[in-house]
Amino acid sequence: MKFWLVRLASLLLAVGFAFGLESVVGHQFPSIYRLVVLAGLYITLSVSLNLINGITGQFSIGHAAFYMVGAYSAGFVSKALFSHQPLVPQLWMIVMALFGACCAALTGLVVGLPSLRLRGDYLAIVTLGFGEILRIVTQNIGAIGGAYGMNVKPFGSPPQALWLVWLLAILCVAVCRNLLKTAHGLPFLSVREDEVASAAMGVKVPKTKVTAFVVGSAFAGAAGALLAHAETFISPDTFKMDVSFIILTMVVLGGTGSITGSVISAIALFAIPEWLRNLQDPVTKDPIQIPGPALVASIISVVIAVALFKAVQNRFHGSKPAKFGLYLAAIAAGFVCKLAFTPILAQAPGLAAKSFEASALRMVIFAATLIILMLIRPQGIFAHHEFSWSWVAKLFRRAPKEATA
Amino acid sequence: MSTTGEKPVVLSLEGATIQFGGLIAVNNATFELQQGDLFGLIGPNGAGKTTCFNLITGVYKPTSGTIRFQGKEIGGLTPAKIAQMGICRTFQNIRLFPALSVVENVVVGAFLRHRTTLGSAFAYLPSSIRETSALKKEAMDLLEVMDLADVAQARSADLPYGKQRRLEIARAMATRPDLILLDEPAAGMNPQEKEDLQVTVRRIRDDFQKTVLLIEHDMRFVMGLCERIFVLDHGEEIAQGPPEKIRNDPKVIEAYLGEAV
Repeated sequence: MKFWLVRLASLLLAVGFAFGLESVVGHQFPSIYRLVVLAGLYITLSVSLNLINGITGQFSIGHAAFYMVGAYSAGFVSKALFSHQPLVPQLWMIVMALFGACCAALTGLVVGLPSLRLRGDYLAIVTLGFGEILRIVTQNIGAIGGAYGMNVKPFGSPPQALWLVWLLAILCVAVCRNLLKTAHGLPFLSVREDEVASAAMGVKVPKTKVTAFVVGSAFAGAAGALLAHAETFISPDTFKMDVSFIILTMVVLGGTGSITGSVISAIALFAIPEWLRNLQDPVTKDPIQIPGPALVASIISVVIAVALFKAVQNRFHGSKPAKFGLYLAAIAAGFVCKLAFTPILAQAPGLAAKSFEASALRMVIFAATLIILMLIRPQGIFAHHEFSWSWVAKLFRRAPKEATA
Repeated sequence: MSTTGEKPVVLSLEGATIQFGGLIAVNNATFELQQGDLFGLIGPNGAGKTTCFNLITGVYKPTSGTIRFQGKEIGGLTPAKIAQMGICRTFQNIRLFPALSVVENVVVGAFLRHRTTLGSAFAYLPSSIRETSALKKEAMDLLEVMDLADVAQARSADLPYGKQRRLEIARAMATRPDLILLDEPAAGMNPQEKEDLQVTVRRIRDDFQKTVLLIEHDMRFVMGLCERIFVLDHGEEIAQGPPEKIRNDPKVIEAYLGEAV
């Protein structure tokens, strides 16, 4: 009884959160609304890829293909059928999300079955190739818009899709977390760890792999269906290889296998380039300009700070608080370097006159962030761990103890 | 019910042969294990012992010959199917699930008895929660028996070598097999650990009523433990029988044991 009450409460909480987000973000700023929608979709995508890649250990880099299958199948059907049926747009989108999920799941099955014989790099190449083939085929089918793309405007006005997108993200996280909480998650993990030993313990390895593929791609397909309706326009370019790689980067950076990590890095990796895109002075609204000397000084000091950080990480074997202090010192040293180098570099005649627009450097900054993170934390932000309340409690409990000691 | 002198046959190989291209790895292996046997498989390196295990557990399909388990032909079935029928094994080079905890490793073994569906796990239904805790409890009991309960929450990769070997046996036991295959269980162990292992293997047979088939190079270990021994060399049987007979068999001495054991 209590169990079901808790379950009901958490369901209501999830729906409430989604609706709350919808009303908080509102429709006044369509650009922000769109970004929040996309962030939600990326959470779904990275958490579902994490199921395939991180939990089951099948190195798939064609996740954008399943995303695309969901988007195109739902978009096409929606265009053709919405006006002939009685459902309101919100309900219709749920139906379409399910439809997109089914189509993508079927595709996942088709890719998953032949992939059973492949491992590691070989599987990666097959999934990558499959994604590209599917995109190029789409590009050449006139009925779904070909390379020009397809308008999906069955409702006339753009629909309120945000709450559905975030509900899907929550559902995806919940399903993965539930899987890992029960014994059913262990075969998936054991396949990742050692296929031969898993089979010897009675784990049906092929079935487990295909299940991971089907469930993971179903979530990507549902995300695609919602994307098609929220964006009202999709084209093959929306699902290029870079999308697959960004999703993969989210999974790896978050720590393969960690759901929490996937969520956090999905938000971060989506937000950083978007935030950098619109860097402008808050008062004058002009794009921010970075003077040449400051830029070069920053680059040098970042390199120094990372080198110091790495040195502390590898060479220092003292107590944890001391190590943490040294990390802070390394970062502080970076800032000091920047302040010190800027005036010196300003003396260089060619450099002082130059300045760079901040937003033009956004992909550079993005790439540098990834490299630095991989350098100082190769196992991913969360490694294999998950967020848990007991972990938070431990942090708080330990703090006063050290203060008294 | 019927307790005649003959115990039921658990595993029988009749002319089991496997060929990799021109190489005949196991040729015409024929032996029988009866319920409760402690059966040893020995022979020089490359004789085909592990290949024999791989045939029995379905990693390879025999080129010819039959392998019967409890009267049913199992040659060519998948490893998972064979594990479900009641044969489980350990590996020569330990194959644990390194990133999983000790208890999780054992639950993977116990998982083949699961009854709830994957859907109920996705939805986190009470049935799957109950099953999970039941399987965990089973695993903990088994760890208790195998003297690993104190490290249940540790990552299995962090265990010392001897404990990893024991954990592998515990994981195999968790599938509740009728027949358990141990591939060089004493490899790399010190004399004390070997003695403990002998006790453990006997307990598996006596307390848990399992049939045991083991590969081992340590002759003292095998001779002290096994009641019957099968000797392979270059894929061929060269002798079969109780330890005393094997010890004095001129062919075995020439191929494997050398003088004065």
